[in-house]
Formats: sequence, C-alpha cells, structure tokens
Amino acid sequence: MTFSDDILMAYADGELDLGTRAQVEDAIAADPEIARRVAAHQALRNTLRSGFDKVLDEPVPDHLIAAARATSRVRSENRVVVPLRPRRARTFALPSWAWPRWGAIAASFVLGALVWHFGTGWYSSGPVIERDGQLLAAGALDKALSNQLASAQPAQTPVQIGVSFRSKDGNYCRTFQLREHTSLAGLACRDQDKWRLEALAQGEGSPGAHSDFRPAGSALPPAIAQAVDQEIDGEPLNAEAEARARTNQWRGPQ
Amino acid sequence: MKALNEDLGEQIVGLLPRLRRFARALTGSVQDADDLVHVAIERALSRSDQLRPDSPVSSWLFGILRNAWIDEARARSRRKRVFAPEELGESVADPSGHQHADVISVQVALARLPDEQREVVGLVLVEGLSYKEAAEIMNVPVGTVTSRLARGRDALQAMLGTEGATHASHGWPGRDTPDRR
Repeated sequence: MTFSDDILMAYADGELDLGTRAQVEDAIAADPEIARRVAAHQALRNTLRSGFDKVLDEPVPDHLIAAARATSRVRSENRVVVPLRPRRARTFALPSWAWPRWGAIAASFVLGALVWHFGTGWYSSGPVIERDGQLLAAGALDKALSNQLASAQPAQTPVQIGVSFRSKDGNYCRTFQLREHTSLAGLACRDQDKWRLEALAQGEGSPGAHSDFRPAGSALPPAIAQAVDQEIDGEPLNAEAEARARTNQWRGPQ
Repeated sequence: MKALNEDLGEQIVGLLPRLRRFARALTGSVQDADDLVHVAIERALSRSDQLRPDSPVSSWLFGILRNAWIDEARARSRRKRVFAPEELGESVADPSGHQHADVISVQVALARLPDEQREVVGLVLVEGLSYKEAAEIMNVPVGTVTSRLARGRDALQAMLGTEGATHASHGWPGRDTPDRR
C-alpha cells in the first residue's frame, strides 16, 4: 500500500485517526522505504524540538514576569514604557482621577529618566515640559521635531528623527530618539503649535541589552513601533513630503 | 475584573517559557524574542475581555504573540524604506554570514524560511500544537496548515541534510514568497 507524503507527515505529527494510523504502521513494517520516510519526518520533529527546548530551561527575565503581574501599564524597572495619553482620551470619558494620576506617574518616570540623561537644569532648557497634565517637547527636542529632516540629520545631533507620518486625525507625528547615555525613544504629534508626546520608551543600549542578529530598522523599541502602528494613517512621509510638511510648519487639519 | 486580570497574569507567568520559545522560533534572536513577548503580554492584559472561556489561554496567547510579530515585521519593512541607508547597513546581520554552508544550526535553518512557513513550523513542530490549533491561531484552513508545513519541512530537511527532502512532488525549493532577508 502506498501513502502520500502528507499522510506520512500527519502520522509523524500524531494527526491520524486510529484506523489510518494502523494502516501506516502496517506499511512501515512491510516497506523499508515508507519506514525511512516516516523516520525522516520524526527526526526533523525531534531536531526542531530539541533545538528550541533549551529555551524552556533558561531563567525568564524579570521584566517579563513583572509585566505579566503588573496591573498598571507603567511597569518594569529598566524598560520604561509610558503611554502618555490613553487611547481615545478625547472622545471617551475617563474617571476624573485617571488622567491627573497618569500624568503624575508618567511625568515622574519620564522626567526621572530625562534628569538623569541631561543632568540638572531641565526646567529651564530640558527637552520636556509638563502643561495641564500633558507632556510637551521643549528645547532641543522641540527644535529637532520642528526643523530636522530625517533625510538630512546633523552628524552630532542629540535628537535623531525617525519616521514622520500623518495620524488618523490628520496631525503630523514624528518618532525620535535621544542619543547619548541612554536611548530614550518616543513618538510626538503636532497639537496646534506644540509637539505633544504620545509615548516614550527606553530603547536599546540599556545595560545588558545584546543581540547578535539585530534586524534592520529595529532601532525603535517595540512599544514605540506599536504606537506608530496605532496612530498612522497610510504610509510614512517620504523625504519630499517631510520637507513640505516642515515648510507648512506641520499644520494639520484646521 | 481586577481579580480576573491578576489570575490571567499568573497564567501568563506560567506560560512565559513556552511563549519565549515560540518567539525565539519566530524571530531567531534572544532580544527580539523577549521584546516580542513583552508586547504580547501588554496586549493580552489590555484585551483580557476577548479571552473565551472555552478556548485554552495558551492558544490565545500564541495568537496574540503571532499577530504582534506580523505587525512588527510589517512596521519594520515600512521603516526600512524611510530610514537612512547607513542606518540599515550597520545593523543588518545575515544569520548565515558566519556559517559554513553544510553545517547550519536548526535555528539558522528556521530563520531562512519564509514567515508563513516559519510560523507553522514553530506552532506544530516546536510547540507541538495540533494542525487544528495552529489553523485557528493563524486564522487559515487546516489544509493551508498542512501544505505550508509540508513545504517548510522540505526546506528544512534540504538545509539540514537529514535524509534529504521527502516532498519531492511539491517541487523544492517550493518557496512561494521570497525570503525577506
């Protein structure tokens, strides 16, 4: 009796009903060629399994355990992920306590990181200010967001601009990364004549972060990439559209 | 609701080793895999209302992780088009770059598969899920699972040299999507 290779594969994967399984087993006993093909499927299955089983024995990183147990969305000691504005905050009513507290929590994390990053004096010239519970870009960050083109960045710039795009409500948004010492990355969206910070996360370059196979373009932390995916309408701006948006001072829909 | 979320949190903690293993199979990198697991945890906790009592938490989490991986791959290909060329160059690592052609690890071989074959191999061969469970997670018919799995197996056997390809009728190399690296 002959069997298609799909049947033999399904046998090796334990997917056959009892009757078919018995037929395959008879065929294995009778035909060395079928036995060889089934053995190849089983060997590959074992190879894959044993190639990855060692992951199960590794200690799970603390930040993942903390993330699973956290009830707040601000969590983890050295992978700060701060959604600065709850989704749909402007259309859905939030409990009155929610936003001020959010602001305070977010601000303490962010500002802690920025104070560490930029030293003292951020109040006067730092990259972030808080106003009415919102975090706005200031100083070098504000300047870079307003003026710097991703296609023509100064060599020693303290702020690296990533992707620029239109959000679903029509405003311009840009991702950025603060260089030196730490690599704080974020997403800022234009709100009238200010850049409002939508998300901040600590990216690569944190102590212990290490990867041999860093794929291209993964410099943005996943939390920021995710924020971009949630906000973006269509595709990012190309260099020409980015320059045009700058000329128009990043004005969105009126 | 809070108690339910805490309970879910503990279930996620128990499944973290398997989630990390599956993520490792998908991404081929320790750091990327853990980043992906982190994103999946956050999504799961924020969508706990979508968890159905009749389906296992593990399948639900594998599905969230798999979708996050697809989103990330899509965003990454988009960023590739807008980032400056030198930034692409410095961080691209070809996993095959340091390997001899005839001795490659199972991890490297898996990383070379097209995404849609890699995910089914990860679910069925690495995680040991049934075809039906894999089909539900990938949101495709079971027949699609078996055909992708057969192609993925062929490719892996050819790369790893275990007994040669056995699905000759499928026409190795049988890749229907170009390798994204």
